Amino acid sequence: MPDQTDPIQFEVIRNALLEATEEMAIALRRSAYSTNIKTRADFSCAFFDRQLRPVAQAFTQPVHLGSLTILTPRAVAEYGPENLQAGDAILVNDPYRGGVHLNDITLISPVYCGAELFGYVANLAHHVDVGGGAPASIGAFQQVYQEGIIIPPVKLVRGGEIAADVFELVIAQIRSKRETRGDFRAQVAANNSGIRRLNGLVEQVGLAQASFYMDRLIDYTRERTLSELTKLPKGEFTATGVVDNDGFTDEPVRLQVRVAIDDEGVLFDLTGCDPQRRAPVNSTYSQTFAACAYVLKCLIDQDVPVNAGFYEQVRLVAPEGTVVNCTAPSPVVGGWETQVRLSDIILRALHPALPDKIPAATKGTMCQVGFGGTDPRTGQLYSYYETMAGGYGGRSTKDGPDAVQCHGQNTENAPIEEIEINYPLRIDRYELIEDSEGAGQHRGGLGLRRDYRFIDHEVSFTVLSDRDRWGPEGLAGGQAGGKARYILDPKGQHVELGSKTTIALAADTVFSYRTCGGGGYGPPHQRDPQTVAEDVREGKVSAERARDEYGVVIDSATGQVDQAATEARRREMADNGL
Amino acid sequence: MAYRLGVDIGGTFTDITLIDEATGQIYTGKVSSTPQDPSGGFMEAVQRLLAKQQIDAQDVAYIVHGTTVATNAIIEGKVAPTGFITTEGFRDMLEIARQIRPTLYDLQFEKPRPLVPRHRCFGVPERLDASGAELTPLDEDALRQVADKLRDEGVESIAVCFLHAYANPTHEQRAGEIIAEIFPEAVVSLSAEVAPEFREYLRASTTVINSCIRPVVARYLQRIEDRLAQAGIAAELLVMQSSGGVYTFAAARQKPVYMVESGPAAGVIAAAHLGQARGYDQVISFDMGGTTAKAGLIQGGAPSVTKDYEVGTTAQSGVGATRGAGYPIRTPVIDLVEIGAGGGSIAWVDPGGILRVGPQSAGADPGPVCYGQGGTQPTVTDANLVLGRLNPNYFLGGEIALDPTAAQRAIEQHCAQPLDMDLVEAAHGIVEIANTAMVNALRLVSVQRGYDPRDFALVAFGGAGPAHANRLAALTEIPVAIIPQSPGTASALGLLVTDLKHDYATTHIQRLDQVVPQALEQTFCELETQGRETLGREGMAEAMMDFRRQVDLRYVGQSHELTLPLRTEALGPAQLDQLLEQFHRTHDRAYGFSAPGEDVELVSVRLSAIGQIAKPALAPLAKATGEATAKGQRPVYFAESEGFVDCPVYDRYALGAGAVVQGPAIVEEIDSTTVIHPHYQVRVDEVGQMVLTTSD
Repeated sequence: MPDQTDPIQFEVIRNALLEATEEMAIALRRSAYSTNIKTRADFSCAFFDRQLRPVAQAFTQPVHLGSLTILTPRAVAEYGPENLQAGDAILVNDPYRGGVHLNDITLISPVYCGAELFGYVANLAHHVDVGGGAPASIGAFQQVYQEGIIIPPVKLVRGGEIAADVFELVIAQIRSKRETRGDFRAQVAANNSGIRRLNGLVEQVGLAQASFYMDRLIDYTRERTLSELTKLPKGEFTATGVVDNDGFTDEPVRLQVRVAIDDEGVLFDLTGCDPQRRAPVNSTYSQTFAACAYVLKCLIDQDVPVNAGFYEQVRLVAPEGTVVNCTAPSPVVGGWETQVRLSDIILRALHPALPDKIPAATKGTMCQVGFGGTDPRTGQLYSYYETMAGGYGGRSTKDGPDAVQCHGQNTENAPIEEIEINYPLRIDRYELIEDSEGAGQHRGGLGLRRDYRFIDHEVSFTVLSDRDRWGPEGLAGGQAGGKARYILDPKGQHVELGSKTTIALAADTVFSYRTCGGGGYGPPHQRDPQTVAEDVREGKVSAERARDEYGVVIDSATGQVDQAATEARRREMADNGL
Repeated sequence: MAYRLGVDIGGTFTDITLIDEATGQIYTGKVSSTPQDPSGGFMEAVQRLLAKQQIDAQDVAYIVHGTTVATNAIIEGKVAPTGFITTEGFRDMLEIARQIRPTLYDLQFEKPRPLVPRHRCFGVPERLDASGAELTPLDEDALRQVADKLRDEGVESIAVCFLHAYANPTHEQRAGEIIAEIFPEAVVSLSAEVAPEFREYLRASTTVINSCIRPVVARYLQRIEDRLAQAGIAAELLVMQSSGGVYTFAAARQKPVYMVESGPAAGVIAAAHLGQARGYDQVISFDMGGTTAKAGLIQGGAPSVTKDYEVGTTAQSGVGATRGAGYPIRTPVIDLVEIGAGGGSIAWVDPGGILRVGPQSAGADPGPVCYGQGGTQPTVTDANLVLGRLNPNYFLGGEIALDPTAAQRAIEQHCAQPLDMDLVEAAHGIVEIANTAMVNALRLVSVQRGYDPRDFALVAFGGAGPAHANRLAALTEIPVAIIPQSPGTASALGLLVTDLKHDYATTHIQRLDQVVPQALEQTFCELETQGRETLGREGMAEAMMDFRRQVDLRYVGQSHELTLPLRTEALGPAQLDQLLEQFHRTHDRAYGFSAPGEDVELVSVRLSAIGQIAKPALAPLAKATGEATAKGQRPVYFAESEGFVDCPVYDRYALGAGAVVQGPAIVEEIDSTTVIHPHYQVRVDEVGQMVLTTSD
């Protein structure tokens, strides 16, 4: 056993571990079947050491990575590491055993090098359907049992072979059987690919060396994290905010955060958040942990690795029985709505401490959509799930980007042509929403709309989202971003539906899903008039809005700023206290 | 007498290679690039070399050009003002892009700015369904209005990408006709012609890039043509494509997006050719220059090609996916893993006390500390110098005198002291950490794609490649490494040893068991007809044409396809059965499983129309007479020897064919230095390549 760290071997092993998880991600993505995994990359991969500490992760979805960190050790401990042999893998999604919402199913395999246990590889993938009360398994229910199949740690792969009985039991609960079978195979392939690569590393450097340097990697990460945390301004910072409603009542879901930064680091105290609801907005401890971990990582040097040395610095108080640490049998499918909003609220709390780093509120919702029905072309059931981008918050020196995923979520969009080839529907529109930005010196990003039209068949359509009552808050004098809207038949009956709705749509109905814009940063009247003119020229902001909110008058003939009129308008706004 | 010229313009240098068609003799040269007008450096390189070798301008029969002009235009934002026309409701395709952030934990991230600003993006009423059937006819009046607006906006170029145009190009074609009528000055690129494959954003992005570099590339190629004409050179003019084939200047003007990665492609083609000269058709190419290292895989003599590529991203120090940082293109690009580890990569100690190398680079200006041009941060080159691996008095043949003391000081100050290591330990650490990053790149192109590096030969070139090749071969267990002559300019040789190539593809989604062989044959024949006509127009004789067929297959429901070759002969059911079996096997190799019970579908049909160009054989090298003798000796550090050893230094130009040099040893030539570790040896082959293997 080496007694001193060789910086070269350190880099060799660190890179090999990262690469193993990247190889897992590539194998999963390329061999998966459902659009949500293969195209949108709604999955994550990680490697844990023998003590079940996270060591390396692929570049994927922070929300998953944070929650895997909690779930994997609990699942393996419960199943019993002694019951896992080489070639085995366990499946788990139980929210009350460390999991998140039921769609996110994790496969964990031990990594044996010869007879010796080296660690565990795990991958979590969002399955398009896990049964339950609505296609795609998202919707407003009152118990977790209505949300789909709950899987405690069970052995799906035994000695390298998929256990047919367990597999069929799971598949029997699921609408999209063919896709899900393929996705499970891809999850198995991903773990195998990681195991191969890690075995290669151990062959090269030996088990003792590899383990020694994993410890060093975690120590190194801890030291760097701690040293970064000492640079943060000390103090207590608080903020409150809400999720618009819970899906059953209009009572806003109140979230309260206290961030205490002292010599020991950062504490996230969520005491004061609402009690859990009999509604889908409950976040499990894992999900809440992931929200806090994400924010903490944003506050430190991006170059610091993400592993146990980092995660152990995430200090969290989340009282049991609340919407940020719910207990069984609370429904959890919309927990991501609460958790992503938490990220926004924690950041806002920290604005006084770090005014240059913190953006105004982002879309702050997952913007989930799910639907399914019987495909008239094949007579078979199908399910489809995706999430939509929205506006990012303005920053202290620059605008918030338009139409982008935010915080712990970074899933891609599905190409329209791919959707229309594979599913019996058409997308009528997919475009930015003009004037949806939160006005500001640095404006928020624009939201977007996607209009779905279902051809020749009825579907059950679910929106599981938020922000249709209050748009994302502005910061430092910036305005809130435009609200989200969920509109049934926009050109006909035009019914605005709530953000957590499941509805039956008749054939050839259009559903227009419109996401919110990001909050603005700084007072809009301080925005450079030339930049406003550019927004008007690009059609992102209307001339009326430029005048009303930014105090910039654009000459309609030339498209140029009318200097005199602009000065007058801005004076008038100042006089009116705007 | 007939000669061929290859001119490769990089960021720092313009490399030129000349081959005498009759003898295969190769001459090389290097001049500084002239970024303001790269055609200046181009001509200087040509004229200097012709003068030096006393070759008459009229005897130059053929010139192939590798250029970064297209990439640079995109990276520097110097593209032509362009308009984008798509289906109504989708004008924001470029703005929305993939809806992702290129970094995960960065609150200050930026999304790449669309190449066409939103006010020049328009949707017009028209719509096809996924089968190509018309749902809404093209609104020609609306299109005319858009064309008028784009003219008023002063655009030079227009990209048209309608939804599902890969399945039916008629709306795009009609749009092209209308624009030509009312705005004939604009150059129009249609997505169905540039990249007729499904997934609208990728197709639109490819078409837009084609459009916005078209005027830039056209002007650039014109300048070269004019200058060559003035110089009395009436050679055939060709450009290297990203795929590794060449095409005519005329074709490049139409589809410049195919040449975006022109320069790097040449290196891989050179490696394939050099490997083949030694009988290896399984080769990993390794090209290490000042700022980056690039690894590529050659399988069966042909480089692997990817269609998943983004332009305008920067190389990272490690290996990790960064999607959404650039602009995707969907044309065939030689599959290269590029990492920010070159001779100029800077070594630093991070706040956690770990030695790191790159991705920051001192580049060519100021360059490594030892160049004495103002560099202060220690680099990989400085470390190699401290370890005795480079000769301070013979760098670029002595053109630059290297300063070992400055290199030592910098490593001491920035690495050794903070780490409490001695100087040599730190210098060795820098080289090994750079090697680690390069090993990962080599693994990524081989192991990750399901290939075992032990079955491959490494061809190492670029100025810095041969100093690291031995160690990389050892770490990856690649049994043999080939160091070509003039490694610093070997890449340009690739320009002269490839074929005319036109790639065609069409999306054709159908379950494989429902594919009628005759219908598929018909599709291939139609593509072949296109290819034959194009090659014919370019003066290629029928006998020299070759058509390579490929299909993209996947399990029904998957989204990433595997590309498989198909023999060019009348298709029958037996061949489709074979294809199916091959697909299961390939899938198993790539992803560790196959699903023989599952349906497989055909996604795209691809055809490469190739016009074979005779490739001059490498000129033989005179036989060595007697044992190789060293020109000198110096202490060089090897970890295997646990310190500095007195190491013989050989002059490469004095090594004849058959000469054997046992490691530890150094072989020097003007543009590169080969390091041979203990227990290894090189043997010079009959065409002058050094072949490195273990000694026993």
